[in-house]
Amino acid sequence: MKLALFGVGNAGTRIVDQLLDAESRTDRPLTDGNVLAFNTTPSAFADTSHIDDERQVVIGDIHPDVSRPEDLADESGEDRREGVAGDPELGVEVARDDLPEIRRALDLVDDTEVDAAMIVAGLGGGTGCGLGAVLLEELASIYELPIYVLGVLPTSEESDRRAWTAARAVRTFVPLADAVFPIDTESWLASAESDDYDELNRAIATRLVSLFGAGERETAAISELRMDPNDLKRTLDVGGLATIGYAETELEEVSEGWYRRLRRLLGLDVPEREPQTDAVSIKNLVQRAADSKLTLQCDIETADRVLLVLSGPPKELSRKGFETGRYLLEDKTGTVEILAGDEPLPEGSRITATILLSNVTGVPRIETLQRRAVEFQREQDDLSASDPDDLSAATTLSTSDTQRSAGNQSTGDDQSAGDEQPPSDDHGFDFQEAELVDQSEADSEGESTSSEDETEEEPTPADGDTADDDTAATESESTGDGSAAENEPQKQ
Amino acid sequence: MKLATIGVGNAGSKLIDRMLEFEQETGRDLCRHVLVINTARTDLAKPDHVPEDRRVLIGDTHQKAKGHGVGGDGEVGAEVAKNDIDEIRRVFDDVEIHEVDAILVAAGLGGGTGSGAGPVVIDELQKMYDEPVYGLGVLPGEYEGGRPALNAARSLQSFVTKVDNFIAFDNDAWRSRGQTVEEGYEEMNRELATRIVTLLAAGEVDDSDVGENAMDSSDIMRTLDTGGVSSIGYASTDLDKPEGLLSKYKKKEDDEINSMDAAKIKGLVRRAVNSRLTIPCEVSSADRALIIFAGPSSMISRKGIESAREWLEQEADTVEVLAGDDPREDSDTLAAVVLLSNVTETPRIKEIQNQAVDAQNKIKELDAVREEEIASLITDDDNELDPIV
Ligand SMILES: Nc1nc2c(ncn2[C@@H]2O[C@H](COP(=O)(O)OP(=O)(O)OP(=O)(O)O)[C@@H](O)[C@H]2O)c(=O)[nH]1
Ligand SMILES: Nc1nc2c(ncn2[C@@H]2O[C@H](COP(=O)(O)OP(=O)(O)OP(=O)(O)O)[C@@H](O)[C@H]2O)c(=O)[nH]1
Repeated sequence: MKLALFGVGNAGTRIVDQLLDAESRTDRPLTDGNVLAFNTTPSAFADTSHIDDERQVVIGDIHPDVSRPEDLADESGEDRREGVAGDPELGVEVARDDLPEIRRALDLVDDTEVDAAMIVAGLGGGTGCGLGAVLLEELASIYELPIYVLGVLPTSEESDRRAWTAARAVRTFVPLADAVFPIDTESWLASAESDDYDELNRAIATRLVSLFGAGERETAAISELRMDPNDLKRTLDVGGLATIGYAETELEEVSEGWYRRLRRLLGLDVPEREPQTDAVSIKNLVQRAADSKLTLQCDIETADRVLLVLSGPPKELSRKGFETGRYLLEDKTGTVEILAGDEPLPEGSRITATILLSNVTGVPRIETLQRRAVEFQREQDDLSASDPDDLSAATTLSTSDTQRSAGNQSTGDDQSAGDEQPPSDDHGFDFQEAELVDQSEADSEGESTSSEDETEEEPTPADGDTADDDTAATESESTGDGSAAENEPQKQ
Repeated sequence: MKLATIGVGNAGSKLIDRMLEFEQETGRDLCRHVLVINTARTDLAKPDHVPEDRRVLIGDTHQKAKGHGVGGDGEVGAEVAKNDIDEIRRVFDDVEIHEVDAILVAAGLGGGTGSGAGPVVIDELQKMYDEPVYGLGVLPGEYEGGRPALNAARSLQSFVTKVDNFIAFDNDAWRSRGQTVEEGYEEMNRELATRIVTLLAAGEVDDSDVGENAMDSSDIMRTLDTGGVSSIGYASTDLDKPEGLLSKYKKKEDDEINSMDAAKIKGLVRRAVNSRLTIPCEVSSADRALIIFAGPSSMISRKGIESAREWLEQEADTVEVLAGDDPREDSDTLAAVVLLSNVTETPRIKEIQNQAVDAQNKIKELDAVREEEIASLITDDDNELDPIV
């Protein structure tokens, strides 16, 4: 499937860069150059190596609330917060102000060349969440393509504000996007050797490229059971949250033995090399992928649809293993909507199994995140209720990453007054608003999630019969030609 | 028989391709018209023997398909075919129907294109032509899971009601171990092509003199006239094996002596019926049956044919059994192919239907709660967090 990629914020930019790296490394043309990176912090573009300059778009750089690198010359560490400095509402505001800029950049992407669009962002970031949401709205209104979001969740070590931002991002993106792939950073960083993002970003890229890039390699042999872009689309059609599992088996590099070399030299038939895998090892590989650390940890029994891609040298892909692997997924997830395909890579040195689980609903990580967000929001509300004018109280509690913005808000009040939201004295971090949304309004918001999938179970494709009638149509009517029995026996 | 053959979807197209290969290899001339129809551009590149201009992509302008398949969804397959029905009709226009005796539509019933577009194509053909339209349908194996089973169970109803006869092939029965995904279907497709071409090509030897026992196209069509689901059995024997290299010399002189005795001929038919049928079934549930011997006519004794026919009459428990030969003088094998028409006891079809009902129930359950579950997942318990835009 061809994807247009849109990186938003620091996390989004870095992950898209990794994706492009994986794309060229694995020789799977996934984007065909249809890539953009948006940020409120120009400096984040510095560490990218695969995104052209013209495709790095700085947004909000003239907005008075956005901190520019030169404003921060004296700051360092946690305090050195550029851009919208973790404020999602400011992120929304600058993105709306700069919509013309965003639209101009979108002209660089040819949406007729791709099968879907994907926004990549850190959901806890002010830019990732705020600008991401505006971009999502924009793409949804101009593209007739499915739009997916890959969103990094913050860890428990990050500030409560990030958790709060991410929880709201989930609440915002899921109804707007065709599917959201949250990245469970917590469980990934816990086991990483170092705690920088490189390893995680690479893992994300590997999974996405194995999934979306399957079959895109131009020289690839035609597969027997090819994954078509529509197979992926259909799997993700159900909306909600999606997650990816992955496992690989390295194949031994077998050097040519004397016997084979001799035969080759003598021009004799060289016997086919024995495959290194069999049905059992392929099935086990699928099992490992299902049990692997998912991009979002979840109860896989709650998955709605599933897709499996097996990639590797065709002679290593046992059909029986493939089929039992697929059957195993049906058993483990309890869903029958399972599509499976192969990607023959004759020169490949490994076999990989990639599993997409769509609309998973048993996700403890999201619940934890929401609880933390609600607590944070309540604290903020209490603070501003008991002492509405004391700005500093609010900012002290909301951890270091707001301080920079608080100090930088000289003109902030005027700005937020122009916003559609009720003006707030808290620099756009307006927690009271939450309470303004009454239950019924929020409920209908929730229902609008369903816009996507209203196709009803239709009866039999071509005619009106229904299939749940399990009496065999064949049996009842096939004997139809009653006259046959009365005919004279035919003698030869 | 002279056929117009149409492959719908990936499996259907591959089967037609194998049929063409087999008829070329054996000097038969069954498929007078060929057409493959698919919703996936890449799959249309697969056939080796289908001319480029006989490959039709449908749904390339359909929002849900766009030339990339239909995601295994039979409903989309049907929708896409209906939308492009004019285009399909236009390609049919080339078929000089008076040249053919019947039309054969091949499809994999587990896939979205085969199961959905197949019946639409058949409907159209039935409207346009008086000639019988036969279906050749691949049933998915149990291990392919619930979705293909659901596609197949629903599509089977459409196929069987629309075609004049449905020849079934059960992937499960033909599943074998130790094969790769790539070669897995290859062997099966060859086996099926051998059976179907050997059966239907009978009565089409133009230049050679028609033997006294020769089977005629109308006999085959009569047997297929029952409607319902049919199964094919096949067995063959190498004629010159025992004699080794000298056989070519000896054969001519020894023809008389070599002619197989009745017991051997009957044995071959028994082997065909007891071998793996294209779809396993209770032989006695067949409505009509037909035996064709393909090979040098001198090998096939009249007495042998008669005793084989009588044996099958017993087995199939029907008096409607035809038997005859399809003279292939150059062939170095003698093959017996047995058509069991309208077999009603086919355990696999029951199994697929049960699997499909389970699948449909599961799908309905998930559909019912989907939106609610998503909404509750993304909303905190008391709905205090509101969206950002
Ligand atoms: N996986 C991954 N996560 C990252 C990376 N960089 C940042 N994050 C996480 O993404 C979230 C958002 O951080 P940023 O992307 O820096 O923020 P932003 O969207 O640019 O917005 P600001 O708040 O304005 O800086 C945080 O929770 C980070 O922990 C990265 O390279 N990889
Ligand atoms: N016997 C046999 N069965 C096949 C072959 N290829 C696919 N199948 C079976 O056919 C079904 C899938 O149908 P396909 O024809 O591949 O799919 P399609 O009809 O093109 O539809 P989509 O791919 O969903 O658009 C499954 O049940 C497969 O097991 C083949 O070459 N031989």
